[in-house]
Amino acid sequence: MIQREVYRKVIFDTIKRGSTVISKDVKRIFEESIKKETSVAAKEGLQKTLQSIEMSVEKNNPACPDTGWPIFYFKVGNNCNLEGGFMGLEEAARESVREATRLGLLRATMKHPLTGHDPGDNIGVNIPDFTYKFVPGEDIEITFVAKGGGSECFGGTRHRMIAFADGTIGIKKFITDCYIASTRAGAVCPPSILGVGIGGTANVAANLAKEAACLRAVGSKHPDPMIHKIEAEIYESLNNLGIGTMGSGGDVSVFAVNIEYAYTHIAGIAVATSTNCMVARRATNKIKNSGEIELLESPNWFEGR
Amino acid sequence: MSIYYLNSPLKNEDIENINIGDSVYISGPVFTCRSRLHKYIFDEGNKLPFSTKNRNSLIHVGPIVIKENGKWKLVSFMPTSSIRFEKWGEKSVKEWNLKLIVGKTTMGKKTADAMKKFKCIHVSPQSVSPNLWIDTITIEDVYLFNELGTIEAAWQMKLDKLGPFVVDIDSKGNNLFDALDKKIEENKIEAYKKMGIPQDFEYTKLY
Repeated sequence: MIQREVYRKVIFDTIKRGSTVISKDVKRIFEESIKKETSVAAKEGLQKTLQSIEMSVEKNNPACPDTGWPIFYFKVGNNCNLEGGFMGLEEAARESVREATRLGLLRATMKHPLTGHDPGDNIGVNIPDFTYKFVPGEDIEITFVAKGGGSECFGGTRHRMIAFADGTIGIKKFITDCYIASTRAGAVCPPSILGVGIGGTANVAANLAKEAACLRAVGSKHPDPMIHKIEAEIYESLNNLGIGTMGSGGDVSVFAVNIEYAYTHIAGIAVATSTNCMVARRATNKIKNSGEIELLESPNWFEGR
Repeated sequence: MSIYYLNSPLKNEDIENINIGDSVYISGPVFTCRSRLHKYIFDEGNKLPFSTKNRNSLIHVGPIVIKENGKWKLVSFMPTSSIRFEKWGEKSVKEWNLKLIVGKTTMGKKTADAMKKFKCIHVSPQSVSPNLWIDTITIEDVYLFNELGTIEAAWQMKLDKLGPFVVDIDSKGNNLFDALDKKIEENKIEAYKKMGIPQDFEYTKLY
Protein backbone atom coordinates (compact mmCIF):
# COMPACT_ATOMS: atom_id res chain seq x y z
CA MET A 1 0.00 0.00 0.00
CA ILE A 2 1.20 3.50 -0.83
CA GLN A 3 1.12 5.63 2.30
CA ARG A 4 -0.72 8.96 2.36
CA GLU A 5 2.30 10.94 3.49
CA VAL A 6 4.26 9.52 0.54
CA TYR A 7 1.79 10.51 -2.18
CA ARG A 8 1.06 13.85 -0.48
CA LYS A 9 4.76 14.78 -0.70
CA VAL A 10 5.12 13.46 -4.25
CA ILE A 11 2.11 15.50 -5.43
CA PHE A 12 3.60 18.68 -3.94
CA ASP A 13 7.00 17.95 -5.53
CA THR A 14 5.30 17.30 -8.88
CA ILE A 15 3.53 20.69 -8.74
CA LYS A 16 6.77 22.42 -7.78
CA ARG A 17 8.76 20.84 -10.59
CA GLY A 18 5.91 21.34 -13.06
CA SER A 19 5.78 25.05 -12.32
CA THR A 20 9.49 25.84 -12.01
CA VAL A 21 11.31 23.45 -14.38
CA ILE A 22 10.64 22.62 -18.03
CA SER A 23 11.16 19.06 -19.23
CA LYS A 24 14.16 18.04 -21.35
CA ASP A 25 12.18 17.72 -24.59
CA VAL A 26 10.89 21.30 -24.25
CA LYS A 27 14.38 22.58 -23.46
CA ARG A 28 15.73 20.75 -26.51
CA ILE A 29 13.19 22.33 -28.87
CA PHE A 30 14.09 25.77 -27.48
CA GLU A 31 17.77 25.13 -28.21
CA GLU A 32 17.09 23.76 -31.70
CA SER A 33 14.79 26.67 -32.52
CA ILE A 34 17.32 29.26 -31.32
CA LYS A 35 19.86 27.73 -33.74
CA LYS A 36 17.39 27.64 -36.60
CA GLU A 37 15.71 31.06 -36.19
CA THR A 38 16.96 33.76 -38.60
CA SER A 39 14.85 36.70 -37.36
CA VAL A 40 16.96 38.60 -34.82
CA ALA A 41 13.99 39.63 -32.63
CA ALA A 42 12.44 36.14 -32.67
CA LYS A 43 15.79 34.51 -31.84
CA GLU A 44 16.31 36.95 -28.96
CA GLY A 45 12.79 36.27 -27.73
CA LEU A 46 13.50 32.55 -27.54
CA GLN A 47 16.91 33.09 -25.93
CA LYS A 48 15.53 35.41 -23.25
CA THR A 49 12.62 33.09 -22.54
CA LEU A 50 14.94 30.11 -22.10
CA GLN A 51 17.34 32.17 -19.98
CA SER A 52 14.47 33.21 -17.70
CA ILE A 53 13.18 29.62 -17.47
CA GLU A 54 16.61 28.46 -16.36
CA MET A 55 16.74 31.18 -13.70
CA SER A 56 13.45 29.87 -12.26
CA VAL A 57 15.14 26.66 -11.18
CA GLU A 58 17.65 28.62 -9.16
CA LYS A 59 15.15 31.19 -7.85
CA ASN A 60 12.54 28.51 -7.17
CA ASN A 61 9.80 30.59 -8.80
CA PRO A 62 7.31 29.78 -11.59
CA ALA A 63 8.76 29.68 -15.11
CA CYS A 64 5.75 31.82 -16.08
CA PRO A 65 3.51 33.63 -13.58
CA ASP A 66 0.38 32.45 -15.36
CA THR A 67 0.33 29.01 -13.78
CA GLY A 68 -3.21 28.73 -15.14
CA TRP A 69 -5.56 25.87 -14.43
CA PRO A 70 -4.10 23.26 -12.06
CA ILE A 71 -4.64 19.94 -13.81
CA PHE A 72 -3.74 16.44 -12.66
CA TYR A 73 -3.42 13.26 -14.69
CA PHE A 74 -3.20 10.00 -12.78
CA LYS A 75 -2.02 6.90 -14.61
CA VAL A 76 -3.06 4.24 -12.17
CA GLY A 77 -2.18 0.58 -11.95
CA ASN A 78 -5.31 -1.57 -11.82
CA ASN A 79 -4.09 -3.06 -8.53
CA CYS A 80 -2.78 0.19 -7.05
CA ASN A 81 -3.62 0.46 -3.39
CA LEU A 82 -3.58 3.92 -1.82
CA GLU A 83 -3.98 4.67 1.86
CA GLY A 84 -7.20 6.70 2.01
CA GLY A 85 -8.17 5.64 -1.52
CA PHE A 86 -8.65 7.92 -4.48
CA MET A 87 -10.65 10.46 -2.50
CA GLY A 88 -7.60 10.71 -0.26
CA LEU A 89 -5.45 11.26 -3.35
CA GLU A 90 -7.65 14.10 -4.57
CA GLU A 91 -7.74 15.69 -1.11
CA ALA A 92 -3.93 15.53 -1.00
CA ALA A 93 -3.81 17.19 -4.43
CA ARG A 94 -6.04 20.02 -3.20
CA GLU A 95 -3.90 20.45 -0.08
CA SER A 96 -0.76 20.57 -2.22
CA VAL A 97 -2.21 23.14 -4.63
CA ARG A 98 -3.20 25.29 -1.65
CA GLU A 99 0.29 25.01 -0.18
CA ALA A 100 2.02 25.70 -3.54
CA THR A 101 -0.16 28.79 -4.01
CA ARG A 102 0.67 30.07 -0.52
CA LEU A 103 4.38 29.73 -1.33
CA GLY A 104 4.06 31.55 -4.68
CA LEU A 105 4.84 28.43 -6.71
CA LEU A 106 1.40 28.82 -8.25
CA ARG A 107 -0.45 32.08 -8.80
CA ALA A 108 -3.92 32.40 -7.24
CA THR A 109 -5.56 32.42 -10.64
CA MET A 110 -8.75 30.37 -10.20
CA LYS A 111 -11.89 32.48 -9.65
CA HIS A 112 -15.67 32.09 -9.67
CA PRO A 113 -16.64 32.33 -13.37
CA LEU A 114 -19.49 34.82 -12.82
CA THR A 115 -18.68 36.82 -9.72
CA GLY A 116 -14.90 36.70 -10.02
CA HIS A 117 -14.72 35.63 -6.37
CA ASP A 118 -11.14 34.81 -5.48
CA PRO A 119 -10.68 31.95 -3.00
CA GLY A 120 -6.98 32.89 -3.01
CA ASP A 121 -5.79 29.28 -3.11
CA ASN A 122 -6.83 27.96 -6.55
CA ILE A 123 -9.39 25.62 -4.99
CA GLY A 124 -13.01 25.78 -6.12
CA VAL A 125 -15.87 23.83 -7.67
CA ASN A 126 -14.40 21.25 -10.10
CA ILE A 127 -10.91 22.75 -9.71
CA PRO A 128 -8.28 21.27 -9.65
CA ASP A 129 -9.23 18.96 -12.49
CA PHE A 130 -8.49 15.21 -12.28
CA THR A 131 -8.21 12.70 -15.12
CA TYR A 132 -7.52 8.99 -14.65
CA LYS A 133 -6.18 6.30 -16.93
CA PHE A 134 -6.03 2.68 -15.81
CA VAL A 135 -3.19 0.37 -16.76
CA PRO A 136 -1.95 -3.04 -15.54
CA GLY A 137 0.18 -3.03 -12.38
CA GLU A 138 0.21 -1.56 -8.90
CA ASP A 139 2.06 1.74 -9.37
CA ILE A 140 0.74 5.27 -9.88
CA GLU A 141 2.13 7.98 -12.13
CA ILE A 142 1.20 11.52 -11.16
CA THR A 143 1.38 14.31 -13.73
CA PHE A 144 0.78 17.97 -12.97
CA VAL A 145 0.10 20.40 -15.79
CA ALA A 146 -0.01 24.18 -15.35
CA LYS A 147 -2.27 25.10 -18.27
CA GLY A 148 -1.70 28.78 -18.98
CA GLY A 149 -4.54 31.17 -19.76
CA GLY A 150 -3.04 32.43 -23.01
CA SER A 151 -2.78 29.00 -24.53
CA GLU A 152 -6.23 27.95 -23.35
CA CYS A 153 -8.26 31.12 -24.00
CA PHE A 154 -7.23 32.88 -27.14
CA GLY A 155 -8.48 30.52 -29.78
CA GLY A 156 -6.00 27.90 -28.67
CA THR A 157 -8.87 25.62 -27.81
CA ARG A 158 -11.56 25.15 -30.44
CA HIS A 159 -13.70 22.45 -31.91
CA ARG A 160 -15.79 21.88 -34.99
CA MET A 161 -17.91 19.07 -36.36
CA ILE A 162 -16.60 18.28 -39.82
CA ALA A 163 -18.61 16.29 -42.36
CA PHE A 164 -17.09 12.96 -43.37
CA ALA A 165 -17.43 14.29 -46.94
CA ASP A 166 -14.92 17.06 -46.12
CA GLY A 167 -12.41 14.46 -44.89
CA THR A 168 -8.75 15.09 -44.24
CA ILE A 169 -8.79 18.31 -46.27
CA GLY A 170 -11.46 19.83 -44.03
CA ILE A 171 -9.60 18.68 -40.95
CA LYS A 172 -6.28 20.17 -42.10
CA LYS A 173 -7.93 23.48 -43.01
CA PHE A 174 -9.63 23.73 -39.63
CA ILE A 175 -6.39 23.02 -37.73
CA THR A 176 -4.39 25.52 -39.81
CA ASP A 177 -6.98 28.29 -39.53
CA CYS A 178 -7.34 27.75 -35.77
CA TYR A 179 -3.61 28.01 -35.22
CA ILE A 180 -3.27 31.20 -37.26
CA ALA A 181 -6.18 32.85 -35.41
CA SER A 182 -4.85 31.84 -32.02
CA THR A 183 -1.33 33.12 -32.56
CA ARG A 184 -2.31 36.63 -33.68
CA ALA A 185 -0.21 39.18 -31.79
CA GLY A 186 1.30 36.35 -29.75
CA ALA A 187 -1.95 35.47 -27.97
CA VAL A 188 -1.13 31.81 -27.22
CA CYS A 189 2.58 32.59 -26.71
CA PRO A 190 3.90 30.88 -29.87
CA PRO A 191 5.84 28.83 -30.83
CA SER A 192 3.27 26.59 -29.12
CA ILE A 193 2.75 22.88 -28.91
CA LEU A 194 -0.36 22.19 -30.94
CA GLY A 195 -2.51 19.27 -29.84
CA VAL A 196 -5.30 17.91 -32.03
CA GLY A 197 -8.07 15.46 -31.22
CA ILE A 198 -10.00 13.82 -34.04
CA GLY A 199 -13.16 11.77 -33.49
CA GLY A 200 -15.22 10.67 -30.51
CA THR A 201 -17.85 12.99 -29.08
CA ALA A 202 -16.87 16.66 -28.92
CA ASN A 203 -15.60 16.32 -25.35
CA VAL A 204 -13.51 13.24 -26.25
CA ALA A 205 -11.90 15.15 -29.12
CA ALA A 206 -11.28 18.15 -26.83
CA ASN A 207 -9.71 15.98 -24.14
CA LEU A 208 -7.51 14.18 -26.67
CA ALA A 209 -6.38 17.55 -28.04
CA LYS A 210 -5.48 18.83 -24.59
CA GLU A 211 -3.66 15.64 -23.67
CA ALA A 212 -1.82 15.64 -27.03
CA ALA A 213 -0.69 19.24 -26.36
CA CYS A 214 0.22 18.83 -22.71
CA LEU A 215 1.25 15.21 -22.22
CA ARG A 216 3.07 14.11 -25.37
CA ALA A 217 6.80 14.81 -25.45
CA VAL A 218 7.91 17.32 -28.07
CA GLY A 219 9.42 15.34 -30.93
CA SER A 220 7.29 12.26 -30.33
CA LYS A 221 5.51 10.73 -33.32
CA HIS A 222 2.11 9.12 -33.48
CA PRO A 223 2.80 5.40 -34.12
CA ASP A 224 0.19 5.19 -36.89
CA PRO A 225 2.00 6.37 -40.07
CA MET A 226 -1.21 7.81 -41.51
CA ILE A 227 -1.65 10.06 -38.47
CA HIS A 228 2.03 10.95 -38.29
CA LYS A 229 1.98 11.98 -41.94
CA ILE A 230 -0.67 14.59 -41.11
CA GLU A 231 1.32 15.71 -38.04
CA ALA A 232 4.42 16.22 -40.19
CA GLU A 233 2.55 17.95 -42.99
CA ILE A 234 0.84 20.47 -40.68
CA TYR A 235 4.06 21.02 -38.70
CA GLU A 236 5.91 21.95 -41.87
CA SER A 237 3.13 24.16 -43.20
CA LEU A 238 2.69 26.09 -39.94
CA ASN A 239 6.44 26.64 -39.73
CA ASN A 240 6.37 28.32 -43.13
CA LEU A 241 3.77 30.91 -42.14
CA GLY A 242 6.17 33.41 -40.52
CA ILE A 243 4.32 33.71 -37.18
CA GLY A 244 7.49 33.60 -35.06
CA THR A 245 8.14 34.09 -31.35
CA MET A 246 5.18 35.85 -29.68
CA GLY A 247 3.61 36.34 -33.11
CA SER A 248 6.04 39.08 -34.04
CA GLY A 249 7.37 37.36 -37.17
CA GLY A 250 9.99 34.64 -37.55
CA ASP A 251 10.79 31.18 -38.86
CA VAL A 252 9.75 29.01 -35.92
CA SER A 253 5.99 29.20 -35.50
CA VAL A 254 5.12 25.91 -33.82
CA PHE A 255 7.18 23.58 -31.59
CA ALA A 256 5.20 20.42 -32.31
CA VAL A 257 1.98 19.12 -33.82
CA ASN A 258 0.61 16.14 -31.89
CA ILE A 259 -2.52 14.39 -33.11
CA GLU A 260 -4.58 11.75 -31.31
CA TYR A 261 -7.79 10.14 -32.54
CA ALA A 262 -10.79 8.08 -31.49
CA TYR A 263 -13.25 6.01 -33.48
CA THR A 264 -16.40 7.94 -34.11
CA HIS A 265 -19.90 8.25 -35.52
CA ILE A 266 -19.21 9.58 -38.99
CA ALA A 267 -22.31 11.76 -39.00
CA GLY A 268 -19.89 14.47 -37.91
CA ILE A 269 -16.19 14.20 -37.18
CA ALA A 270 -15.38 16.20 -34.07
CA VAL A 271 -12.04 17.93 -34.51
CA ALA A 272 -10.58 19.84 -31.59
CA THR A 273 -7.39 21.79 -31.11
CA SER A 274 -5.58 22.76 -27.94
CA THR A 275 -2.33 24.64 -27.75
CA ASN A 276 0.18 24.57 -24.96
CA CYS A 277 2.38 27.57 -24.14
CA MET A 278 5.97 27.73 -25.43
CA VAL A 279 6.82 27.66 -21.72
CA ALA A 280 5.12 24.26 -21.59
CA ARG A 281 4.90 23.14 -17.99
CA ARG A 282 4.32 19.59 -16.85
CA ALA A 283 5.99 17.14 -14.50
CA THR A 284 5.52 13.45 -13.79
CA ASN A 285 6.52 11.33 -10.82
CA LYS A 286 5.92 7.64 -10.36
CA ILE A 287 5.25 5.98 -7.02
CA LYS A 288 5.79 2.26 -6.91
CA ASN A 289 3.78 0.05 -4.59
CA SER A 290 6.97 -0.34 -2.54
CA GLY A 291 6.90 3.41 -1.90
CA GLU A 292 9.91 3.96 -4.15
CA ILE A 293 9.69 7.21 -6.13
CA GLU A 294 10.90 7.70 -9.69
CA LEU A 295 11.11 10.99 -11.58
CA LEU A 296 9.84 10.59 -15.15
CA GLU A 297 10.73 12.90 -18.04
CA SER A 298 7.51 12.16 -19.91
CA PRO A 299 4.02 11.22 -18.72
CA ASN A 300 3.95 8.37 -21.31
CA TRP A 301 0.21 9.01 -21.31
CA PHE A 302 -0.46 7.53 -24.73
CA GLU A 303 1.80 4.51 -24.34
CA GLY A 304 -0.32 1.64 -25.58
CA ARG A 305 -2.82 4.41 -26.44
CA MET B 1 13.87 50.71 -35.58
CA SER B 2 14.92 52.87 -32.63
CA ILE B 3 15.31 52.23 -28.92
CA TYR B 4 13.65 54.61 -26.44
CA TYR B 5 14.17 54.92 -22.69
CA LEU B 6 10.93 56.33 -21.30
CA ASN B 7 10.42 57.96 -17.93
CA SER B 8 6.90 57.88 -16.50
CA PRO B 9 4.98 60.18 -16.01
CA LEU B 10 5.07 60.77 -19.76
CA LYS B 11 4.27 63.83 -21.84
CA ASN B 12 2.95 63.82 -25.41
CA GLU B 13 6.33 64.86 -26.75
CA ASP B 14 7.98 61.81 -25.12
CA ILE B 15 5.97 59.41 -27.29
CA GLU B 16 4.88 61.29 -30.41
CA ASN B 17 7.92 60.32 -32.49
CA ILE B 18 7.87 56.66 -31.52
CA ASN B 19 6.78 54.30 -34.28
CA ILE B 20 5.50 50.74 -34.45
CA GLY B 21 8.43 48.32 -34.41
CA ASP B 22 10.51 50.53 -32.10
CA SER B 23 11.75 49.19 -28.77
CA VAL B 24 11.12 50.78 -25.38
CA TYR B 25 12.41 50.46 -21.81
CA ILE B 26 10.30 52.00 -19.04
CA SER B 27 11.25 53.72 -15.79
CA GLY B 28 9.23 55.53 -13.13
CA PRO B 29 5.86 55.07 -11.43
CA VAL B 30 3.22 52.84 -13.10
CA PHE B 31 0.13 50.90 -12.01
CA THR B 32 -1.46 47.56 -12.89
CA CYS B 33 -4.97 46.67 -13.97
CA ARG B 34 -6.82 43.55 -15.12
CA SER B 35 -10.46 42.61 -15.85
CA ARG B 36 -11.92 43.00 -12.38
CA LEU B 37 -10.48 46.46 -11.79
CA HIS B 38 -11.65 47.70 -15.22
CA LYS B 39 -15.13 46.39 -14.44
CA TYR B 40 -15.09 47.82 -10.93
CA ILE B 41 -14.27 51.28 -12.28
CA PHE B 42 -16.00 51.55 -15.65
CA ASP B 43 -19.05 49.29 -15.22
CA GLU B 44 -19.74 49.57 -11.52
CA GLY B 45 -19.20 53.31 -11.22
CA ASN B 46 -16.30 53.40 -8.77
CA LYS B 47 -13.35 55.76 -8.88
CA LEU B 48 -9.74 54.69 -9.12
CA PRO B 49 -8.52 55.28 -5.54
CA PHE B 50 -5.45 57.29 -6.64
CA SER B 51 -4.56 59.92 -9.22
CA THR B 52 -2.89 58.86 -12.48
CA LYS B 53 -1.51 62.36 -13.03
CA ASN B 54 2.02 61.38 -12.05
CA ARG B 55 1.50 57.73 -12.92
CA ASN B 56 0.12 57.77 -16.47
CA SER B 57 1.56 54.40 -17.54
CA LEU B 58 -0.50 51.24 -17.14
CA ILE B 59 0.56 47.62 -17.19
CA HIS B 60 -1.96 44.87 -17.92
CA VAL B 61 -0.52 42.26 -15.56
CA GLY B 62 -1.44 39.95 -12.72
CA PRO B 63 1.82 39.56 -10.83
CA ILE B 64 2.62 36.89 -8.27
CA VAL B 65 3.22 38.79 -5.04
CA ILE B 66 3.63 37.21 -1.62
CA LYS B 67 4.12 38.72 1.80
CA GLU B 68 7.52 37.93 3.31
CA ASN B 69 8.45 39.28 6.76
CA GLY B 70 5.61 41.79 6.52
CA LYS B 71 6.81 43.12 3.14
CA TRP B 72 5.48 42.55 -0.37
CA LYS B 73 7.77 40.42 -2.49
CA LEU B 74 7.35 40.22 -6.26
CA VAL B 75 7.80 36.57 -7.23
CA SER B 76 6.94 36.74 -10.92
CA PHE B 77 5.72 39.16 -13.57
CA MET B 78 4.57 38.72 -17.18
CA PRO B 79 2.20 41.13 -18.95
CA THR B 80 -1.20 39.59 -19.72
CA SER B 81 -3.22 39.84 -22.96
CA SER B 82 -4.50 43.39 -23.48
CA ILE B 83 -7.05 42.44 -26.13
CA ARG B 84 -9.31 41.16 -23.31
CA PHE B 85 -9.79 44.73 -22.09
CA GLU B 86 -10.72 46.20 -25.48
CA LYS B 87 -14.22 46.96 -24.18
CA TRP B 88 -12.68 49.38 -21.67
CA GLY B 89 -9.65 50.47 -23.73
CA GLU B 90 -10.95 53.79 -25.00
CA LYS B 91 -12.28 54.79 -21.56
CA SER B 92 -9.04 53.88 -19.82
CA VAL B 93 -6.93 55.93 -22.24
CA LYS B 94 -9.27 58.92 -22.00
CA GLU B 95 -10.26 58.96 -18.34
CA TRP B 96 -6.90 57.98 -16.89
CA ASN B 97 -4.98 60.17 -19.38
CA LEU B 98 -2.72 57.25 -20.22
CA LYS B 99 0.36 57.74 -22.39
CA LEU B 100 1.58 54.16 -22.28
CA ILE B 101 -0.01 50.74 -21.93
CA VAL B 102 2.11 47.60 -21.56
CA GLY B 103 0.44 44.30 -22.33
CA LYS B 104 0.73 41.06 -24.21
CA THR B 105 -0.95 40.89 -27.64
CA THR B 106 -2.41 44.21 -28.77
CA MET B 107 -5.61 46.25 -28.62
CA GLY B 108 -8.39 46.79 -31.16
CA LYS B 109 -9.28 49.56 -33.57
CA LYS B 110 -11.39 51.53 -31.09
CA THR B 111 -8.54 51.78 -28.58
CA ALA B 112 -6.01 52.52 -31.33
CA ASP B 113 -8.26 55.40 -32.46
CA ALA B 114 -8.37 56.70 -28.88
CA MET B 115 -4.58 56.40 -28.70
CA LYS B 116 -4.30 58.52 -31.83
CA LYS B 117 -6.73 61.10 -30.49
CA PHE B 118 -5.34 61.40 -26.97
CA LYS B 119 -1.71 60.42 -27.72
CA CYS B 120 -0.82 57.09 -26.18
CA ILE B 121 1.15 53.99 -27.24
CA HIS B 122 0.79 50.26 -26.57
CA VAL B 123 3.85 48.04 -26.18
CA SER B 124 4.09 44.25 -26.13
CA PRO B 125 6.68 41.72 -24.87
CA GLN B 126 8.57 39.58 -27.40
CA SER B 127 9.62 37.00 -24.85
CA VAL B 128 8.30 35.32 -21.72
CA SER B 129 11.15 36.30 -19.44
CA PRO B 130 9.83 37.26 -15.98
CA ASN B 131 13.19 36.60 -14.30
CA LEU B 132 14.93 39.14 -16.53
CA TRP B 133 12.35 41.73 -15.47
CA ILE B 134 11.56 41.32 -11.78
CA ASP B 135 14.72 42.98 -10.50
CA THR B 136 13.78 46.18 -12.36
CA ILE B 137 10.44 46.40 -10.51
CA THR B 138 9.81 47.73 -7.00
CA ILE B 139 6.38 47.38 -5.43
CA GLU B 140 5.30 50.67 -3.88
CA ASP B 141 1.73 50.07 -2.75
CA VAL B 142 -1.46 48.16 -3.45
CA TYR B 143 -5.09 49.30 -3.66
CA LEU B 144 -8.30 47.24 -3.60
CA PHE B 145 -6.39 44.15 -2.47
CA ASN B 146 -9.18 42.90 -0.19
CA GLU B 147 -11.91 43.66 -2.73
CA LEU B 148 -10.28 42.20 -5.84
CA GLY B 149 -7.66 39.71 -4.67
CA THR B 150 -3.94 39.54 -5.25
CA ILE B 151 -3.69 39.42 -9.04
CA GLU B 152 -6.63 41.70 -9.88
CA ALA B 153 -5.73 44.44 -7.37
CA ALA B 154 -4.21 47.78 -8.44
CA TRP B 155 -0.48 47.50 -7.72
CA GLN B 156 1.60 50.63 -7.80
CA MET B 157 5.10 49.85 -9.01
CA LYS B 158 8.25 51.79 -9.68
CA LEU B 159 10.28 50.64 -12.67
CA ASP B 160 13.94 50.93 -13.51
CA LYS B 161 14.37 50.30 -17.26
CA LEU B 162 11.82 47.50 -17.57
CA GLY B 163 11.97 46.11 -21.10
CA PRO B 164 12.51 45.75 -23.94
CA PHE B 165 8.99 45.83 -25.35
CA VAL B 166 8.05 46.34 -28.98
CA VAL B 167 5.72 49.21 -29.89
CA ASP B 168 2.68 47.60 -31.49
CA ILE B 169 0.36 50.65 -31.51
CA ASP B 170 1.87 54.10 -31.97
CA SER B 171 0.32 57.51 -31.30
CA LYS B 172 -0.65 57.71 -34.97
CA GLY B 173 -2.94 54.71 -34.45
CA ASN B 174 -0.85 52.26 -36.54
CA ASN B 175 -0.79 48.60 -35.50
CA LEU B 176 2.33 46.46 -36.00
CA PHE B 177 0.33 43.23 -36.17
CA ASP B 178 -1.87 44.38 -39.08
CA ALA B 179 1.10 44.15 -41.46
CA LEU B 180 2.16 40.79 -40.01
CA ASP B 181 -1.38 39.44 -40.44
CA LYS B 182 -1.28 40.30 -44.13
CA LYS B 183 2.02 38.47 -44.55
CA ILE B 184 0.71 35.38 -42.78
CA GLU B 185 -2.45 35.40 -44.94
CA GLU B 186 -0.23 35.49 -48.04
CA ASN B 187 1.91 32.62 -46.74
CA LYS B 188 -1.27 30.66 -45.98
CA ILE B 189 -2.03 30.41 -49.72
CA GLU B 190 1.20 28.43 -50.23
CA ALA B 191 0.54 26.32 -47.12
CA TYR B 192 -2.93 25.40 -48.41
CA LYS B 193 -1.43 24.45 -51.77
CA LYS B 194 1.15 22.16 -50.18
CA MET B 195 -1.49 20.44 -48.07
CA GLY B 196 -3.86 20.04 -51.02
CA ILE B 197 -6.51 22.38 -49.59
CA PRO B 198 -8.31 24.17 -52.45
CA GLN B 199 -8.35 27.96 -51.95
CA ASP B 200 -12.12 27.98 -52.43
CA PHE B 201 -12.76 25.04 -50.08
CA GLU B 202 -16.02 25.34 -48.17
CA TYR B 203 -17.08 23.16 -45.29
CA THR B 204 -20.26 21.15 -45.69
CA LYS B 205 -22.70 22.99 -43.46
CA LEU B 206 -23.85 20.68 -40.68
CA TYR B 207 -25.73 23.32 -38.68
